Amino acid sequence: MASSKAARMGEEVWKTRTEKINLEVLTLTYGTLVSQLTHDLRDPATNIPDYAAINTELDRMGHSIGLRLIEDFLAKTSSAGPAPCNNFRETAEMIAKVGFKIFLNVTPRVENWDKEGRSFGLVFEEMPVSEFVELPDDGRAQEELWFLNLFCGVVKGALEMVQMQVKAEWVSDVLRGDDTTEMRVTLIRYIEDEMPPDDE
Amino acid sequence: MSVYSFYIFDRHTECIYSKRFTAANNTQSSRGSTLQNGDVPASLRKASKDLDETKLIFGTIFSLRRMAKQLGGADDQFLSYRTGEYKLHYFETPTQLKFVMLTDPRVGNMRTVLHQIWATLFVEYVVKSPLAPAEHTGGKGVANELFEGGLERFMVSMGLLPR
Repeated sequence: MASSKAARMGEEVWKTRTEKINLEVLTLTYGTLVSQLTHDLRDPATNIPDYAAINTELDRMGHSIGLRLIEDFLAKTSSAGPAPCNNFRETAEMIAKVGFKIFLNVTPRVENWDKEGRSFGLVFEEMPVSEFVELPDDGRAQEELWFLNLFCGVVKGALEMVQMQVKAEWVSDVLRGDDTTEMRVTLIRYIEDEMPPDDE
Repeated sequence: MSVYSFYIFDRHTECIYSKRFTAANNTQSSRGSTLQNGDVPASLRKASKDLDETKLIFGTIFSLRRMAKQLGGADDQFLSYRTGEYKLHYFETPTQLKFVMLTDPRVGNMRTVLHQIWATLFVEYVVKSPLAPAEHTGGKGVANELFEGGLERFMVSMGLLPR
């Protein structure tokens, strides 16, 4: 019920209120970004790309994007009925069916809930920015680099702005030879309202 | 219809934008029985420092929204309150940006207006500006010409400010 409503909303916002760009431009830009990072962030001693640092950097960039993107997301969706999510399950539906839909035109499946309902997986059937991508064949990128790590940062940053602190990380990626591409999102806590500082 | 002042607070309880529209239509001053000496109510004019005033306003809306939630349930929100001299309109986004507008007490519901200021002006010009910081900490606030200009034009087009 709620899930089909989210799907409809995503469809509508994507059709009517989203500016589109050529997908290949986005794909190649993102690929270039990651590729540049593999040049910039190298272990000075061995001159091998420091994949852990690249993951961190992508995450940080994504976080900054998410902090702003959420505002655009809310502005685009709110006149179509901005009911705040009542629970984490609704949040998951909104991220998958509206968030990813209007910004990337993909709709990941929400799966693999844990028992407490605090953690879910987003399974991507298709990932446009992974097109044309081959990870470096140095024997380490396959194990260490999360090519799509920017998106974890985006999810984290966006949810932080709506009072949810989450952990987001990739658990599998077809680029690494896995069967699926899955992001795991875990709710850590709801952020309390900040109080104004005391005057006296 | 006239607007006295406009404020934006961010989620860190910081005032990131404030503007006073003091010069607004002096012609009206004779009509409002409680208003003398121009358009701004004495209570507002007396607040000598902007800083004190924004703190006061934040304190007020902070308490009021909490009270509204306690009495009316978690989904309840307070929209406005009115005194003999002014009316305070309030709009909060899910990201806890708080938009506050002080107007003439006769003005009707301004929620849609505040929503539009957020969706079409703040998001477009401030949030999407690559030069604007993501967080406006340290009291620097939003200093953005496009936003200022857009806000002014919007208010005029809504008939809230004289042309």
